[in-house]
Amino acid sequence: MNTALRAEVLKVRTTRTTAGVLAGMVGVVLLAIALHAFGLPANRLATGADQRKMFLDVGSNMGMVFAALIGALSMTVEFRYGTIRPTLLSVPRRGRVIVAKAWSALVVGSVAGMVAAGLASAAGTAFLRLRGMSVDIPAGQYVQLVLGGAAAGAAWATLGFGVGAVVRSQVPAVVGLFVWILFVENVLIAGVPSVGKYSPGALGRALAGQQVDAVASWPAALLALVTVAGAAVCAALAATTTRDFT
Amino acid sequence: MRVNELMTPKIVIAGVSQAGRDPYLRTMSNNAVVEVSSLTKRYDDVVAVDNISFTLAPGTVTGFLGPNGAGKTTTLRVLLGLADADAGTALVGGRRYRELDEPARWVGAVLESNDFHPGRSGRDHLRVLSAASGVAEVRVDEVLDLVGLVDACRRAVKTYSLGMRQRLGLAAALLGEPRLLVLDEPTNGLDPSGTHWLRRVLRAFAEAGGTVLVSSHQLAEIAQSVDHVIIIDRGRVLADAPLVELAGSDRTLEQTYLALTAPVGS
Repeated sequence: MNTALRAEVLKVRTTRTTAGVLAGMVGVVLLAIALHAFGLPANRLATGADQRKMFLDVGSNMGMVFAALIGALSMTVEFRYGTIRPTLLSVPRRGRVIVAKAWSALVVGSVAGMVAAGLASAAGTAFLRLRGMSVDIPAGQYVQLVLGGAAAGAAWATLGFGVGAVVRSQVPAVVGLFVWILFVENVLIAGVPSVGKYSPGALGRALAGQQVDAVASWPAALLALVTVAGAAVCAALAATTTRDFT
Repeated sequence: MRVNELMTPKIVIAGVSQAGRDPYLRTMSNNAVVEVSSLTKRYDDVVAVDNISFTLAPGTVTGFLGPNGAGKTTTLRVLLGLADADAGTALVGGRRYRELDEPARWVGAVLESNDFHPGRSGRDHLRVLSAASGVAEVRVDEVLDLVGLVDACRRAVKTYSLGMRQRLGLAAALLGEPRLLVLDEPTNGLDPSGTHWLRRVLRAFAEAGGTVLVSSHQLAEIAQSVDHVIIIDRGRVLADAPLVELAGSDRTLEQTYLALTAPVGS
């Protein structure tokens, strides 16, 4: 592990920010999956496909939202507290800092995505059984939920990191990401499905196994998400290497 | 633990012998740690730094003085690779800061007294920087001891006083046993004994062969701490001379400074 990456891993481990965001995510996922599992009419949870859609809607979506938050904070915190200056004094080749931060965000984001999807699937299954319903989801689909959630979390954390690097200011970066995930994407998917299915959120859900008509195949979704994440890192590099830090 | 002001700080500078000789610098034509040549930096239509030049020799403490907006901070930012020059060069050891292979071995800098994550402990802040700089973690405890923050090092930085933050910044600057210290207003928040202690640290650093560039508005303190003075105003160097030439029995450094930086027509 190079020095810049070691420093970024230490940054994650030495404040409560990431742990706090992950703990918040666990609480939100548990609350949301409980509301869905106990609150939806039984006829909407009758088949394995219905049940999997509920796990995916909660787990995958929450994983992406919180991964984006983690990614954005990893950069905006540096500007908010001025730690970008000692960071760049220690590693003045800015490209190295950006790549290290992107890797760090990607790994933490994948953990967030995996935990959200895994927790939604496990707790959702338990809650449905508590309700007296049988759960009919093959093991392979659970695996896809968790691994797809991890991949989507990784991509969204990298995307959030790129937005944070370009915008720099914490509140606009986080609000912008949330508006995109929770509002713009839904409008796109409903209004222009041929375009909306390539929005990063739809791609993430496709990776986790979403089965609706307007969805990209998982290899296409993976390729598109890698492209999105790569573009975010390139934007972060462009925003960081050419600017003055005053 | 408070710093023992009577204790002589033990300063070690990587690559420099105990006699203060630096084999690397001896290979350079002018033996300068810092060489700023015809440096110009503009922000839109404002010329913040206007064609300035100076050098810093090893073993000296140089005061970098000027009114607010004179261009001091901009010069330091360019020297440290945080901003790009529009013209000219600012070199450390003959290279641009961003081209240094081991910058922490060359330069330790404190630009702001508050560049810390408030929720991270002082010790963890130093651990992060030691990891980023490739400096052995054993240096973290050494510099904490040097600045007197051992007892407080596991507390979150948000609980630190301004003086403690200044000490933590200096500890970070000393992590890599650098040849050059660049300090922007380092006495802000320090009490008189802390200021006295800092003066001893800077002197010990210079006597060990290191070079110090310290920007400050506290002229009385600067007059007791430095060997050399550079005064700039409106982005231009007004004076670049040994302290004894700018302050003596006939005038104080403050009088020289005020005469040089007086507004035109006053």
